[in-house]
Amino acid sequence: MSHKKQKQMQIKSKLTVENKLSITGWFFILPATLLIFAMSFYPMFKALYMSFRTGIGVNMEWAGLYNFTRMLKDKIFMQSVRNNFFYLIIQVPIMLVLAITLASILNNPKLKYKGLFRILLFLPCATPLVAYSVIFRSLFAIDGYFNTILLNFGILSKAYNFLGHPTSAKIVIIIALIWRWTGYNIVFYLAGLQNIDPSIYEAVKLEGASKFQTFFSITAPLLKPMILLTSIMSINGTLQLFDESVNLTAGGPANASITMSHYIYNLSFKYVPNFGYAAALSYVILLLVAFLALIQMKVVDVRD
Amino acid sequence: MKKILFTLACITIAASSLLMASGQKEATVDTSKSDELVVWLWDMGFNGATMQKAAEIYKEDHPEFNLVIEDQGDWNTLQTKLTTIASSGKLDSLPDILLIQDNAFQKNYMSFPEVFTDLSNTNIDYTQFASGKTGYSVIDGKNYGVPFDNGAVIFGYRTDILAKAGYTIDDFTDITWSQWLKQARVVLEKTGKPLLSAQAGSSDIINMMLQSAGASLFNTDGSPNIVNNDVLYKVAETYMQMLDDGTCIEATDWSGYTNSFSSGAVAGTMTGCWIAATIQGATDQAGKWKITNMPSLDGIPTATNYSNNGGSSWAVTSACKNVDLAADFFAMTFGSSMELYDAVAQNGVLGTYLPSANSSVYSQPNEFFSGQPIMSIITEFAGKVPAIEGGAYYYDARDAVCTAITQIQSGAVAKEAFQDAQDTVNFMMGN
Repeated sequence: MSHKKQKQMQIKSKLTVENKLSITGWFFILPATLLIFAMSFYPMFKALYMSFRTGIGVNMEWAGLYNFTRMLKDKIFMQSVRNNFFYLIIQVPIMLVLAITLASILNNPKLKYKGLFRILLFLPCATPLVAYSVIFRSLFAIDGYFNTILLNFGILSKAYNFLGHPTSAKIVIIIALIWRWTGYNIVFYLAGLQNIDPSIYEAVKLEGASKFQTFFSITAPLLKPMILLTSIMSINGTLQLFDESVNLTAGGPANASITMSHYIYNLSFKYVPNFGYAAALSYVILLLVAFLALIQMKVVDVRD
Repeated sequence: MKKILFTLACITIAASSLLMASGQKEATVDTSKSDELVVWLWDMGFNGATMQKAAEIYKEDHPEFNLVIEDQGDWNTLQTKLTTIASSGKLDSLPDILLIQDNAFQKNYMSFPEVFTDLSNTNIDYTQFASGKTGYSVIDGKNYGVPFDNGAVIFGYRTDILAKAGYTIDDFTDITWSQWLKQARVVLEKTGKPLLSAQAGSSDIINMMLQSAGASLFNTDGSPNIVNNDVLYKVAETYMQMLDDGTCIEATDWSGYTNSFSSGAVAGTMTGCWIAATIQGATDQAGKWKITNMPSLDGIPTATNYSNNGGSSWAVTSACKNVDLAADFFAMTFGSSMELYDAVAQNGVLGTYLPSANSSVYSQPNEFFSGQPIMSIITEFAGKVPAIEGGAYYYDARDAVCTAITQIQSGAVAKEAFQDAQDTVNFMMGN
């Protein structure tokens, strides 16, 4: 075989149909990739670089791991981590159990006005975060809706300052979160439920399984991927909680309900700005989210 | 091959349109005329109206001048925008002029020195302004700001409610907080109305009380002065007493606070004199209000009945293409125009331009405040406010103390809570 021929063959083998298609594919996703890189990944790397620097405003200098050791002594940050985990541990399970229960009810073929209920349950998700936070704040204000009702029914003799006490302020945030996000998760579960073959249910019914048995032995295992997805999303969302802390309780009273993201905002915009330290704290959130997601994927292995 | 070429063409078109979009944006910046100034501020009825009036006055002699006011809603929004732009380094996105809270001036200069323009060697005569006020915007002997308004503290009372409890405004003038607490309890008993309201989580009242005794949260060397600050303990004690008595109630937010007195539920308010405009918004209460000075702290030798809350200054940014125009505009309006200060006096704008105190407009009675010449009264108060140490970490310290007081309210030991607050501020300073 001559040298020329060999080369020709090489070129021919490189440009098989498959390769051609793949190159075209790459060209199509190139614009999106570039945009995502510029808008998401570049800031992420920049923030990582920034987290190793410290200083006031634009006067920053290299600080190595100083920011990361410094945060261990930061009482407000530790408080915010505790708050975030409080929300996470209490709110996420309640919300997901509620969502899966409501989704199973909605999936019942005998249920009437299904569309109406679906809309009603999903509607809270269409409300802007700031708007619903402000509404919840006014509902739970000293002269708000709930206090008025409790006073008029004689349950309370003096208006209770829901947002002025550490525990009740956190509970108000949890109630608000459940109201806002349950419908969102229902949609995922409904989609998951509709993918389960009805013949499976018919078969179990013939075998004489009870409703609970059906749910725990059939529905729940088959919904596993959806449960994993929703719980990762909920954990991710709860750890990055911001709007509710800022608008509903303003982090108060005495930082009792402040979240990590809210504290990072304060460090950058309210106090003397220290972007290096703020960036380091953001990376802690990233690591926490990644770590928790990893644990979950290991515990609930999708591949069975 | 054709397909690849087509894809390439598509990408080129998309990319070039992106580039064109950014190119066009730059072009519009370049075409901005040099006799135009853009201002960022908040509160159109107060700051905006004053700027508009200043522009009108300046236009009389400079018909080609054009001022564009961009309302940012509130100071927090303006601060967020300023921080974002300054930290990104795209300083040309800034307007020519910024309104800056006095308490935030040092912080912003320290964080973003390249945003500010030195206005020392201009024809603005800084000696014509109250020296305590100019101090906020002087850094290393250079003037970076033009002083604007003052926040001398006034205590406004509903005289009709006081009368029901057998009091007049004189019973609340030149008094101490212990007298106030006693009388406020009587008013609450007889009329069911508290005399004061505050925004929960805001430390305005605490800061006003502190400054009234010449005390600050900082030492002269800039270190925090919280745990060993005797005045602060007295302030916390007084503040918590009025909350316990119910003579002061906490509203969840700012609108809840203003609504508390404009709805008539609360029979008085104490804050910077700029609140006069808000009080006058409740037109049904015309003739029922009077203002006086605030109570002084008991047992503190330096205590006075005067304090300050709020106030801001104008800064010219480095994005300003025509600094001479901006400086001349300020010299001709805020720095010398009695006409300007007279025109905006009815809004409760108390300038810190010293000659404005002798304005004939200031002594005119205000019908809403039962015929009191409120501008003269406020000017007199402003002259007696003790000067205090400020600091770049003002907002950090303010939040920490506010947290401490909330903790003390729910049962924490004062000394421990204030020690925590001091540690927090020290932590923030030790970046």
